Amino acid sequence: MQLQDTQAAAASAAAAPAFSLTPPHAPAGMRVTKRNGTREAVDLNKIVRAVTRAAEGLHAVEPLPVALKTIGGLYDGATTRELDELSIRTAAALTAEEPEYGLLAARLLAQVIAKEVRGQDLQSYSQATARGAQAGLINARVRDFVAAHARKLDDAIDDGASRRFEYFGLRTLYDRYLLRHPQSRLVLETPQYFFMRIACALGGGEIGETLQLYRTLAALDYLPSSPTLFNAGTCHEQMSSCYLLDSPGDSLQAIYARYGDVAMLSKFAGGIGLSYTRIRARGSLIRGTNGKSNGVVPWLKTLDASVAAVNQGGKRKGACCVYLEPWHADIEDFLELRDNTGDPARRTYNLNLANWIPDLFMRRVEQDAAWTLFDPKDVPGLPDLWGDDFERAYQAAEARGTGLRRIPARALYTRMLKTLAETGNGWFTFKDRSNATCNQAARSGNVVHLSNLCTEILEVGSEDETAVCNLASINLAGHVTDEGIDFDKLAATVRQAVRQLDRVIDLNYYPIEGARRSNARWRPVGLGVMGLQDVFFRLRLPFDGPEALALSTRVAEEMYFHALDTSCALAEQHGAHAAFADTRAAQGVLQFDHWPEARPHDAERWEALRARIRRHGLRNSLLIAIAPTATIASIAGCCECIEPQVSNLFKRETLSGDFLVVNRHLVEELKRLGLWTTELREAIKRAEGSIQGIEAIPEPLRRVYRTVWELPQKALIDLAAARGAWIDQSQSLNLFMATPNLGALSSMYMYAWKKGLKTTYYLRSRPATRIAQTTVAGAPVQAAACSLENPGHCEACQ
Amino acid sequence: MNTPIAPASAPPPCLLDPGYALTLRPMRYPQFYDMYRAAIRNTWTVEEVDFSGDVNDLRQKMSPAERHLIERLVAFFATGDSIVSNNLVLNLYRHLNAPEARMYLSRQLYEEALHVQFYLTLLDTYLPDPAARQAAFAAVDNIPSIAHKAAFCCKWIDSVRQLDALDTPQKRRRFLLNQIGFAACIEGLFFFAAFAYVYFLRARGLLHGLAAGTNWVFRDESCHMAFAFAAIEVVRAEQPELFDAGLEAQVRAMLAEAIDCEAEFARDVLAGGIAGLSPAQMRQYLEYVADQRLRQLGYAPQYGAGNPFPFMELQDMQELANFFERRVSAYQVGVSGELRFDSSF
Repeated sequence: MQLQDTQAAAASAAAAPAFSLTPPHAPAGMRVTKRNGTREAVDLNKIVRAVTRAAEGLHAVEPLPVALKTIGGLYDGATTRELDELSIRTAAALTAEEPEYGLLAARLLAQVIAKEVRGQDLQSYSQATARGAQAGLINARVRDFVAAHARKLDDAIDDGASRRFEYFGLRTLYDRYLLRHPQSRLVLETPQYFFMRIACALGGGEIGETLQLYRTLAALDYLPSSPTLFNAGTCHEQMSSCYLLDSPGDSLQAIYARYGDVAMLSKFAGGIGLSYTRIRARGSLIRGTNGKSNGVVPWLKTLDASVAAVNQGGKRKGACCVYLEPWHADIEDFLELRDNTGDPARRTYNLNLANWIPDLFMRRVEQDAAWTLFDPKDVPGLPDLWGDDFERAYQAAEARGTGLRRIPARALYTRMLKTLAETGNGWFTFKDRSNATCNQAARSGNVVHLSNLCTEILEVGSEDETAVCNLASINLAGHVTDEGIDFDKLAATVRQAVRQLDRVIDLNYYPIEGARRSNARWRPVGLGVMGLQDVFFRLRLPFDGPEALALSTRVAEEMYFHALDTSCALAEQHGAHAAFADTRAAQGVLQFDHWPEARPHDAERWEALRARIRRHGLRNSLLIAIAPTATIASIAGCCECIEPQVSNLFKRETLSGDFLVVNRHLVEELKRLGLWTTELREAIKRAEGSIQGIEAIPEPLRRVYRTVWELPQKALIDLAAARGAWIDQSQSLNLFMATPNLGALSSMYMYAWKKGLKTTYYLRSRPATRIAQTTVAGAPVQAAACSLENPGHCEACQ
Repeated sequence: MNTPIAPASAPPPCLLDPGYALTLRPMRYPQFYDMYRAAIRNTWTVEEVDFSGDVNDLRQKMSPAERHLIERLVAFFATGDSIVSNNLVLNLYRHLNAPEARMYLSRQLYEEALHVQFYLTLLDTYLPDPAARQAAFAAVDNIPSIAHKAAFCCKWIDSVRQLDALDTPQKRRRFLLNQIGFAACIEGLFFFAAFAYVYFLRARGLLHGLAAGTNWVFRDESCHMAFAFAAIEVVRAEQPELFDAGLEAQVRAMLAEAIDCEAEFARDVLAGGIAGLSPAQMRQYLEYVADQRLRQLGYAPQYGAGNPFPFMELQDMQELANFFERRVSAYQVGVSGELRFDSSF
C-alpha cells in the first residue's frame, strides 16, 4: 500500500467491488425467529420468568440483570436457539462474581439439552436406547439388556441429579460426550441417559449392579476415563485409555507397521506411548543399500504427521509420547524435537517426548562422570535389560569401545533439563525403579520398556505384545465430610470400580491383535483419584503440611488394599489371570514391600490378604494408577487428580471454548468472613488468582489457598513418594516452577529420583511476559517485582 | 543505579534529543533493556500454530454472518501489522535516541514481521481462492471501514515523516502525538478491538488456530504498548513541560476519532447480526478501553464506560490448557543458572 494514496483510495472506496458475504442491514425493533420460522418481539418478562424458574434455590442469583444482558447482546431476527445459548453464556460469564451463576448456566443448559432430546420424540431412556441402536450407535448387548429391563431402568433415571453439574462439566459433556445422531447431529441422550448407558454397558448384565453403578456415576463420585465414557455400549467399544508400544525392530517393515498400529489405536481414542530405542542412530550403516542411516528423527517426523492426521473422530486429537533411553546416540536430536527454532523438518510438535532413564545415568551425573552414547545396532540387548544386568552390559560395551561418543553425563543432564524448561516436554521417567517395583516384571524377559502418554502406566511388553490399560478415577471430593474421609464409602466405591474395570477387559474392542493378547494374560487396570485438593480445602489442610501427607497416604493405602482384596475375590470366582505365576504377588511380594519407609496402617489385615492372594491369586496383575483426569475432573467439577490448584481464579481452555473457573471453596470461606466484595475480587484478579498478598484474609486461610506456584515442589514429591508405596503402577506427577532455573531443576529431579519416584510428567512454567490485563482497573504494567527472599527468581536483578 | 554522569552545567541528555547514541554502559534506561530480554524469552513461531481445525469450523460450524466477520477481520489483519512496522522504521527508531530503546524496537520489528507472517499464513489457509486473497489485501483500499482505519494510521505516520531532528518542543510534541497514536489508538485500540472479536469466537470454542496465534500476538502487542507507554513516561519525567494542555486536548481528539473509525468498522463487521456481540456493545468496549489508555497516560478518563464483554475477562486469567486439546502456550525460551544439587525448590 502506498502511504500517500490511502485517503484518495478511501474516498473512491464506495464504488469498488464489495468484499462481502452479507449485505449490511438496518436494525429495527428486536425480534426473535422461532423454530417454526415465525418471528415475534423479544419479551423481557418471558426471559426473566425462564431464568427465575431455573434459579430455584440459588439465593445469590438475580434474574433481571441476566435477562437484560442477554437482550443487550441480541440482534434482530436472532433465533430462539441463539437466545437460549446467549442466556447460558451470559449467566456463565458472571461466575467469577458469584459461583451460583455457574450453576444457573448449567441448569439453563440442561433445559436446552432436555428440549433437544424430547424434540426428537424421545420420552424415556429405553426409547432413546432403541433409537440409538436403530441409528447404528448402540450395540446389541446393551440394546437387548435395556429392552429386557426397560421399566426399572426408566424409573431409576434421576433427572434431578443433573443439578450437581457445574457449567463447565455439563458443557463438556454436551459438546463432546453425549451420543449424537449420525445425520441430524442432535444429541440422543440427556446426561442421565448417558450415565445409564455406561452403567448398562458395564454392569455385567445384572440389574442390581447396573443401577448401583448408575447411582455412583450420577452422584459424580466416580468416573471411568474418557474412552470408556465415549464408547461404552456403542458398536465400537474401545474403552482403554493407554497403549504402550515397544520400540519397533530396527527394520523398515517394522517401522511402517508401527505407524499402522499407532493410527488404528488413535482412531479409537487411545493415548499412545511408543519406544524408539531400538532404531539405529544417525550415521549407522544400512547393509541393504550400503548407505548411512539418518537416525530416528526422520521416522519421528513421519509419525508426527500421522498422529496429526488421525483425530479420533473429531472428539479429541490423537496423542502420542515417544520414549528414548539416554544412551541412544540420537538423544540430543531427540531433545530438540519440540524446540521452536531450527529446521522445521526436524521438529515434531504433535509428539510428546520422554526420557527412559537408567539409574546408572543418574549416578554418573551425581559423580560428574562421563556417559557413553551407543548405536542400538551395536548393543542390541540393552533395551531388554535393567538393574545390575543393564549396568554390566553397558559397562562391558563401554570397555569394548563400541560406543560412538563419550560426553560428560552432566552436559546431557543439562540438555534434558533445558528441554523440560523450554518446552515442558522430555519427561523424566526411571527405567530401573519402574522395573524393580513392577508386579509383572518378576521373571527376566518380562520387561517394562516405557511408560504411556501420561506416565502413570507401567506394564511389560515386547515387540509382539502391546500393553493396554483401562482407567477410572474416584472423586475424593464425594468421599469427604467435615470430619474427614469416609473410608467405608471409599472402600465400597473401590470394590465397585475394580469389578467394573475388570469387565472392561473382556468387553473391550482391541484395535490391534498384540494388545488383545497382552491383556488376556495380564488383565491390568488403573484405578486413580481426583479431587485430592478439594479434600484439603474442605478440611482446611495446607497442601505441604504433615496432616495432608498422612491423609493422602492413607487414602492410597486403603485404595490399594480394597482393590487387591476385590481382585482376589474375583480370582476366587473366575480364576487368577493367566500370567499370575509370573508375578511378584505370586511370591507374596506387594508394592509397599519395595518402599522401605512405608508403614502399613494395619499390618495384620495385610498379612491375611497376602495369604489369600497366595492361595487364590489375583484377577488383575496391576490395579492402581493415578491418571491426570484432565477432562473427567471437569465433568465431576473437582480439581485434577492429586494436583494442587493452579490458581484461585483461572481460565480453562478446551475444545468447547474458554471458561472462567473460580475456586468456590474459597468463595464460601470469604463469604463466611464477609470478605467476598468487589474490591477483593479485583485484588485476586490483579494477582492472577493468588491471595497471598491480600492482608485482609486471615493467614491460616491464605496458607490453605496457596496456588501450585506458591507451594514448595518438594512437598509434591514427598506426597508422591509416600503415596507411591501403595501404587503398583505410577502417577502423572506434574511439577511446577514459574521461572525455571537450572539449579533448582537439577536439584528437584535428582531429589525425585532419590525418593524412588518411578515417573514424573510435565514441567509447567509461566510465560516470561504477559498479555495486558484489559478488564482490571489499575492493573500493574510490570509483572516482576524485586524480592529479596527470592533472589533466584527475580528477573529484575539479573 | 545507572544515572548518567554529566557535567553540572550541561542539561542532562533526554530520550528525544536528536542523534544516534551508542553508549550502553552506564545504561540510562535499563527498563528498556529488560523489556528486550523478556521479549526474547517469549519467542514463538508460526509453525507452532495448529490451524487444522479452523477450516472445518469455517465451513461447518459458522454462519454466513460469522464468516463475514472473519473475512473482514482477516482483511484488516492482512495489512495492520505492516503499517505498524512502517511507523516503527520511519519514525520511532529514528527519534527514540538510546541504544537500549533501539534494541527493543529492533526486537519489536521482528515481532511485527512475525505477526505479518502469521496473518499471511492464516489468510492463505482461510481463503483458498487466490482472487479472494488478493481482495483481502486490496481491502485496505476498497473496503471503506478498513480504508478509514488505514487512513487514520497513515495520517499520523505522515505527521512526523518530514521531521529530521526533534530540536524544538513543538516537534517533540508532534512526535509524542505520533507515538501515543500508535500505542493508544492503533495497537491499544484497533488491535484490542480486533482481538475482542477473536476472543468472542474462541469463548465459543471456534477457530483455535486463530485464537492460539492471536494469544501470542496479543502478548507481544501488550509488550509493545507497555514499551511505548514506558518511553512516554520517561519523556514526561525528563521534560514535563512538553505535556501541556494542548497536547492533552489533541490526544483526546485523536482517541475520539479512533473510536469513531473502529465503531464504523464494527458496524460493517457485525452487519450480518451476531448474537452476543452488538455494535453498541463494541462502542462501549472501545470507550472503556480508551479510558484505560487515558489513565495510562496520566489523564482523567473521559467516557466512564464499563466493560460489556465478559469474554475479555477470560483472557486476563491464567490459562490452563488441557494438553489433549491444545498446545500450551506458556513456555519460556531460554533457561539460565548452573547445575546444582542443593537448591531449594
